[in-house]
Amino acid sequence: MSSLAFAAEAVTGIPHLAAAVPGADNPHADFSDTPWWLSLVKALLVFVFLLVNTLVVIWFERRVIGRMQQRPGPNRTGPFGLLQTLADGIKLALKEDLTPKNADKVVFALAPMIAGAMAFVSFAIIPMGPMVSMFGHRTPLQLTDTPVAVLLVLAVAGVGVYGIVLAGWSSGSTYPLLGGLRSTAQVISYEIAMGLALVAIFLYSGSMSTSQIVYSQRDLWYILPAFFSFLVYVVTMVGETNRLPFDLAEGEGELTGGFHTEYSSLKFAMFFLGEYVNMFTVSALATTMFLGGWQAPPGIAAINDGMFNHGWWGLLWFVIKLWLFMFFFVWLRGSLPRVRYDQFMRFGWKFLIPVTLAWVVAVAFIRGAQLGYFGNSSVGLAGREFPVATLIIVGLIAALALAVTWVWEGKQAEKQAAAEAQLPEEIDPFAGGYPVPPLPGQRLREPSLAIEKESNRA
Amino acid sequence: MTNPYVPLLFLLAIGGGFAVFSVFAASIAGPKRYNRAKLDAYECGIEPTPQAAGGGLRVPIKYYLTAMLFIIFDIESVFLYPFAVAFNQLGLFALVEMVLFIITVFVAYAYVWRRGGLEWD
Amino acid sequence: MTALITSLPTEFKVAQVDYSAIAPMLIVTAGALVGVLVEAFAPRRLRYAAQVGVALVALVAAFVVLVTVSVDAQGLTLERAVVIDGPALFLQGTVLLMSVLGVLTMAERFGGESPDAFTPMGAAVPGSPQEASAMRAGLMSSEVFPLTLFAVVGMMLFPAAGDLLTMFVALEVLSLPLYLLSGLARRRRLLSQEASLKYFLLGAFSSAFFLFGAALMYGYSGSIYLGDISKAITSASGELDGLLIPGVVFLLVGLLFKVGAVPFHSWTPDVYQGAPTPVTGFMAACTKVAAFGAILRLVYVGLEANRWDWRAGVIAVAALTMVIGSVLSVTQTDVKRLLAYSSIAHAGFILVAVLAFDKLGVAGTMFYLVAYGFATIAAFGIVSMVRQGGSEASHLSQWAGLGRNHPVVAAVFAFLLLAFAGIPLTSGFTAKYAAFSPAIAFGGRAGVSLVVIGVLCSVITAFVYVRLIVLMYFTEPAGGEVVAEMPSPMTTVALSIGTLVTLGLGIFPAQVLSLAESSSVFLR
Repeated sequence: MSSLAFAAEAVTGIPHLAAAVPGADNPHADFSDTPWWLSLVKALLVFVFLLVNTLVVIWFERRVIGRMQQRPGPNRTGPFGLLQTLADGIKLALKEDLTPKNADKVVFALAPMIAGAMAFVSFAIIPMGPMVSMFGHRTPLQLTDTPVAVLLVLAVAGVGVYGIVLAGWSSGSTYPLLGGLRSTAQVISYEIAMGLALVAIFLYSGSMSTSQIVYSQRDLWYILPAFFSFLVYVVTMVGETNRLPFDLAEGEGELTGGFHTEYSSLKFAMFFLGEYVNMFTVSALATTMFLGGWQAPPGIAAINDGMFNHGWWGLLWFVIKLWLFMFFFVWLRGSLPRVRYDQFMRFGWKFLIPVTLAWVVAVAFIRGAQLGYFGNSSVGLAGREFPVATLIIVGLIAALALAVTWVWEGKQAEKQAAAEAQLPEEIDPFAGGYPVPPLPGQRLREPSLAIEKESNRA
Repeated sequence: MTNPYVPLLFLLAIGGGFAVFSVFAASIAGPKRYNRAKLDAYECGIEPTPQAAGGGLRVPIKYYLTAMLFIIFDIESVFLYPFAVAFNQLGLFALVEMVLFIITVFVAYAYVWRRGGLEWD
Repeated sequence: MTALITSLPTEFKVAQVDYSAIAPMLIVTAGALVGVLVEAFAPRRLRYAAQVGVALVALVAAFVVLVTVSVDAQGLTLERAVVIDGPALFLQGTVLLMSVLGVLTMAERFGGESPDAFTPMGAAVPGSPQEASAMRAGLMSSEVFPLTLFAVVGMMLFPAAGDLLTMFVALEVLSLPLYLLSGLARRRRLLSQEASLKYFLLGAFSSAFFLFGAALMYGYSGSIYLGDISKAITSASGELDGLLIPGVVFLLVGLLFKVGAVPFHSWTPDVYQGAPTPVTGFMAACTKVAAFGAILRLVYVGLEANRWDWRAGVIAVAALTMVIGSVLSVTQTDVKRLLAYSSIAHAGFILVAVLAFDKLGVAGTMFYLVAYGFATIAAFGIVSMVRQGGSEASHLSQWAGLGRNHPVVAAVFAFLLLAFAGIPLTSGFTAKYAAFSPAIAFGGRAGVSLVVIGVLCSVITAFVYVRLIVLMYFTEPAGGEVVAEMPSPMTTVALSIGTLVTLGLGIFPAQVLSLAESSSVFLR
């Protein structure tokens, strides 16, 4: 499929999607030949996959950030420093395990367990490849799938938040409590926008089952028709996982370590592990939802009658896409400063949520037009048939978006002009008691002159 | 063919087992050197703020507000999910109903915004 | 897995909605939403006028639509979730009219800037500088009007609910705004907040009972629809009978809590006393209407088939409610608490009519609700007018000698008290007659004995009311200036309507009574 046709189909009807039949929201993957022991084996494999990937990604992160900052990063332990994370883990295990005397002992021990255990569960529904042969059985490269698989991911993420809340609460100390509250508020705030962004995907796929979503992307990845959802999802997944630039829970300057300030040894490692596994989970979900899951990229998929879309090849594409997201996480961390908490919450509540909601409504109308809810007439244009209703609705939405942007930009410019007009030309850096730097276009009043003036007055 | 939720429990058991094992292993493997100061709450060296576990500090009301707003919007998105999944079969009626529902929630959202419920200073 | 797939619905069926049947509820909902938007966007000085206007317009429009359009659209709609039939329409109309009076009394400003009964800032700590500055800045809780409208929506849906889940949703929709409203009194903030919290906790508890009962009934009958439950009871094999009686009991506990029947009455005096007085009047009148409507529907449509299994319990509740409500009202020293206990006693009287299990019982219940509701709103309206030193003079001793300074106010109040007591020529008498006569005719021996208890209790309460009248007219003022504030036209209208209805129903009850009788058949 040429890229032009690809883009055209993003705007107009997508033939195979319109022909959804009742019951199409059930999993596409076929688990009928998967005995329970094979599920157990696959569960173990998923677990090992995540653990090994976590070990590698921490090394990867430190190396990449090192390069970004013109230094080598860890390179002593093992080949290329690959065993550095393992060595760190063993070191942590041999450190003293402290429980502060104010802590609620049971909950204090329970919290890291919840955070660690819950991180793994979501990965069960991620399709990592098509049907393969395993120990003489035909089984999909996916642990399990249900008709509500994506909802399950969100639910498990919700339970995972308990790890953070309870850790902050049970430490019996001020910083962890504040950090725990902050990161809870942060995670749940961004979970709303994330959940809303996914609604657009469900509208296109007609299913919440991950294998079905991957299957329905065989002609067109949803990153194109649901591009805005993708953008929102990428922002929220960083917010969800408490990663830079949104790692406010552990703002070292204000809260030392945030909710895990009081944790040491392997309990601390559990939170660390949970964070990285969560990164893999949200990345895998992004891959599944927007990038066609385990399917080969468009050009490669056409080679040799779809050879690269079968068997274990799927795992390769999946891992490549997954690691692209991981690199993105590291890249962000290497290049962006931390945002302020009020900015972060304002962005989430006042921008992401309403805009995503409007986007969902827009997608619903586009889908409604594609499904023929507003009539079926179509016009021929450049050799292709375009449904009239779709064109009208897409046009209306685009016009509306432009209008809103225009108004908003005008207001911003007005605001900026007003702010600039009020700026005094010269400021006294110590007027409020603390030294403040001048804003662009301002001149500092010379402190010596100011002091002189004061003494003259006296 | 097993129940689709059983493999989930397998993974939960493996992950949970690993977590529990690690937490207990750490308490056995690590050294124990008693020091009273180490067991105090860590506040960067200043005297710890005296408080009981969880009870001593009054949590700012903002967090409760955020939690309640979260519930409202989370339930909204949970309502949208089945609608979105079944949209192929529902027809125009459901589209109109959904827009009405979103508008209704949006009224509450506008109220909260205007009343400063979304401000963090 | 195959079982899972087959159990999924393969085709979606669009629910049939009869918009003209539910139009009144939609209008009130729209009014409430507009009220929220007004609260968000209108400048502060316009809010009061806009809110009162929106609320009154919505309520009146809903009533007009109800009597012109909805009466012709009777039937089951929204896939049997909502039943618009005679009793539902009658009670919805009653709720709408009473809430108009309620909104009028709530809007009373007594010459000030903001509604007099409500605190300027509900979230401020009582007595804090924040509260004082909010008062000075002229803030007001004009949210009370949209909240009232939301409560009215719940009250309209409650007696029209065709299944237990809709009933539960209606219960919550009507309760949540009331919990909030009770906590917004301007004076005696702590008492008000205590009332709000108590009401919320106990109300949540009773909601849980109701929901648990609904779950058990679903387990028993496999359906949440009242009609299906009735069929399931009739054709029961006896296998699941262990679920039936607990289910019925829990459902009734949830509903009897809302009407304040003994032993689920303990919240009533505290909440009635703490809540802003106009809210108390609104709550006492409209919640009773809605909750008794729901009880009628549940009992007559859903559970009548096995009434012999649970009737004895409700008879005991009715008797206890009458006795305890009237006996405890003797010892009260606060007007609002006195009226609260009187409302408990009235709940008992109404239960007597419910237990008749006849069309006339339904009519008697509905007539009683109309009579009691209008008198109650007017009575609480007067309570909110009587002041000493700027705050409400709710202690009985402060009412001594009121008849000398304010003969009209005292006369109206005395008249309303006589109506509560059930003296002839007031609506109280005709209502008691309408409630008790079906109990004698159809209630059997239990009905007769309940009526005897009811009459005895009426005598007790009559003593209480007469004592209060004597206090107002024949006792020297205890000292300190007690005044009745000059009400605005709005309150005056509300009080006049309440009093006139009380008088009119006492002299010419026939029309309303025959309307109640003609609209007393439930659709199922």
